[in-house]
Amino acid sequence: MNDVIETVGPKLLGPALMVAAAIIVRGYGDVGDGFSAGVIVALAIALRYVTLGVEEAERGLPILRHAPAAVAGGLLVALASGFFGVALGDPPFTHQPGPGEHVVEIGMLELMTPVAFDVGVMLVVVGSLTLLVHHLGMLVGERRA
Amino acid sequence: MTSLRERLLAWGAVGAAAAGFAAFLTGWQLGGATVNIPWAPALDLRLDLALDGIGALYGLLATGIGAVVFAYGAAYLPWHLAHDGRPRTEAHRFWPWMVIFMGSMAGLACARDLILLFVFFDLTAVASYFLIGFDRNQREARGAALMALLVTGVSAVALLIAAVLLHAEYGTFSLPELFERANGGGTVTAAGLLIALAALAKSAQVPLHFWLPRAMAAPTPVSAYLHSAAMVAAGVLVLGRVHPLLAQSDLVLDVLLVVGFVSIAVGGVLALVQDELKQILAHSTISQYGYVVVMYGIGGAAGAGGAALYVVAHAIAKSALFMTAGAVTVATDETRLSRLGGLGRRMPVLAVASGVAAATLAALPLTLGFFKDELFFDAAIGAGPLVQVLAVGAAALTFAYIGRFWLGLFTGSAGAAPRRIDPLLVGPIVLLAATAVLGGLVVGPFAELAGDAATVTHAAAVDVAPAYHLDLRGANVMALAAWALGAAALALPRLRDPVAHAVARLGDRVGPRHWYGVALEGLNRLSGRMHDAEVRDLRTSIAAVLVPGGILFAIGFAATPTSGAYDVGKVLLADVPIIVVLALAALAALTTARDRGRLRPILALSVLGFALAAVYAMVGAPDVALVAVVVETVFSVVFIGVFSRLPMPPRDRPAESRWRRRRNVAAGVLAGAGAFATIWATLSRPTAAESVAAEHIKRAPEAHGGDVVTVILADFRGLDTLVEITVLAVAMVGVASLVRRGRPW
Repeated sequence: MNDVIETVGPKLLGPALMVAAAIIVRGYGDVGDGFSAGVIVALAIALRYVTLGVEEAERGLPILRHAPAAVAGGLLVALASGFFGVALGDPPFTHQPGPGEHVVEIGMLELMTPVAFDVGVMLVVVGSLTLLVHHLGMLVGERRA
Repeated sequence: MTSLRERLLAWGAVGAAAAGFAAFLTGWQLGGATVNIPWAPALDLRLDLALDGIGALYGLLATGIGAVVFAYGAAYLPWHLAHDGRPRTEAHRFWPWMVIFMGSMAGLACARDLILLFVFFDLTAVASYFLIGFDRNQREARGAALMALLVTGVSAVALLIAAVLLHAEYGTFSLPELFERANGGGTVTAAGLLIALAALAKSAQVPLHFWLPRAMAAPTPVSAYLHSAAMVAAGVLVLGRVHPLLAQSDLVLDVLLVVGFVSIAVGGVLALVQDELKQILAHSTISQYGYVVVMYGIGGAAGAGGAALYVVAHAIAKSALFMTAGAVTVATDETRLSRLGGLGRRMPVLAVASGVAAATLAALPLTLGFFKDELFFDAAIGAGPLVQVLAVGAAALTFAYIGRFWLGLFTGSAGAAPRRIDPLLVGPIVLLAATAVLGGLVVGPFAELAGDAATVTHAAAVDVAPAYHLDLRGANVMALAAWALGAAALALPRLRDPVAHAVARLGDRVGPRHWYGVALEGLNRLSGRMHDAEVRDLRTSIAAVLVPGGILFAIGFAATPTSGAYDVGKVLLADVPIIVVLALAALAALTTARDRGRLRPILALSVLGFALAAVYAMVGAPDVALVAVVVETVFSVVFIGVFSRLPMPPRDRPAESRWRRRRNVAAGVLAGAGAFATIWATLSRPTAAESVAAEHIKRAPEAHGGDVVTVILADFRGLDTLVEITVLAVAMVGVASLVRRGRPW
């Protein structure tokens, strides 16, 4: 493996997370959404797996172990932010605040339910792709063993 | 103690059936009820259920016989599983399907909407598939389940077609409304024939009867329930429910009459030659539902009333006889009549109870069965001399084969010796026999139920009043003649058997079951050939997409007008960057196609993708460009990963034949030219003004969004996105189960 990739690859995760966070936060007013953010993070994770191998990659970053939880949790977050309106008698995907209402902003982050939905989508994408890489990597490992 | 859960499951099913029976009985006594809720108004679909006469009759049958058979099954199933050396927990695959079947049967009984009718009709077919194939380790059971599903499921499509036909003509799926609006004519006749096809296949009528004898591979409780009172009853239920439509066409009624009599004859004659107990009963069922179909073919008040009472009497008797066959098999491990006999002295209770059931089927007095034949003969008398003669012949046939069944089991020289069996295997039979005798003494409640059902069928009030008459009226003479003829056939096996065996041999050689096999094999071969042609190698797989796609494009062009479709347009200075990038993309595409290496085509493909992303960015769709870049990156990585694992081709690989290369080029050119022309034509015509996209763009700021794509994904079409990420999560579960045997991590 190329030295450059081996050195740079694992370190890319930090910047990738930054970019993803920016996309999510700025996303609703600008280009990008939960899917793009998720794929960017997942690419960085995949690069980590490619350079370090399955075991090393997961030993250094035990949080990856929680990928199945990320998928389930993301799905739940998306479900909740899409369907909470049903409990109030609105059709599904009636977001709050409604059209024309004031949006609370913390810095650039706008507090509204579509952003929560985007976070859910991102979690599902990151979790799924991590799981995919993990399973395929384990398969190769098992075949060798 | 391990069996506690299984026992609870079985008795829970019994409890559910008994509760359902009580509910239907109370509802019927209180004068019925209706539910009518639109659940998809845009498609004119309603949840229209009515507890009317038919609903009550078939609902009571499904739940009442259900409760009795489930109780029997609670004793039978553990024996069955132990006999086959299967764990007791297999019962978990059995009871839920029985209950689902009962539920869909109850729903079917009450449905008054054609689509709803179709849905419940198919639900019973699905449940029956799993019940018939319960012994899934046996090839015979699996084939039988598939056959039942195919025959009844495929013909059920005719019911759906009929529903759509009627909706197109009269604008409603609701049966009461259809009865008001329909006024004879071709549509009603065609729809009537289609509905009859679906119903007759379900009721195992000739020529679609062959699935039923094979379905005897099912465990006995399934046969005692599905193949006496429920699944096969569903067909005649539908006939009874839509009868006012069928009665508008003499052709449909004549078809029913002919099919019914042929089924009586074929089923009856074949029942005479069968040796396996359940096979005798299965052929008897074909024959018995033939009676009901005949009476619906005769129609009128007499036919409708007779058919309703017949279904009840037959269900009680046949269910008891199926359970008798099961009990005898449990006691002796023997399923064939020729190896059994003389059980009367060893199992007296069973002998008496099943004797009553057999007498009910043979229409002897003091049983409910006597009245079923009385009404049958009355209806036949109204339909002319030919039908009368055939009716007597039918009743004689029934007398003969059921006599052979019972006498063969319980009298004569002793066959296999019986063991003691669980009383629960006999109790339900006694209960049903008692009901049959009760009906023979006090026929009032049964007649009332049949009358209510016939009122729905006949669309006018029907009074069903069977009774004993000690005189020489037509029905009595016909009954006496039938008994005499039947007894003669029973007593003279030398006259009877050669005829019956000849019919059986003929049926094996040219019967519909043979053609079912031929058709199934042919379809299988066709499917195999298409599969081979498509997935032989990567190229044929791709060609299977590209070539039909290209052909469809070509047809599209032939059909659409071309004026203004291929506009070349002007080239502006501002377009130059786009043209440069597109030229790069074209070069990359050429490289991908022409280069013989490994890495270079992949890189060229990436260049192509990134160039297109750049074009998106330039024409003002940065959101699409971002997604394109991300997806392109993933693709490049995956491609390189996969290609690095492929073995290198041998250097001395023989060159491809010229013909194959030409064929590949032709397929590529066809698909490429099609795509090219389509895109050109699309770009030449500005999209229609009333596009939803304009609305999306207008409303995005209202939804606090600056980027339309994001707002569409998270808000306007958020439900789609949610479904898509769910698919993603499900796909991961699939990967985990395929690649790592279901381990989540």
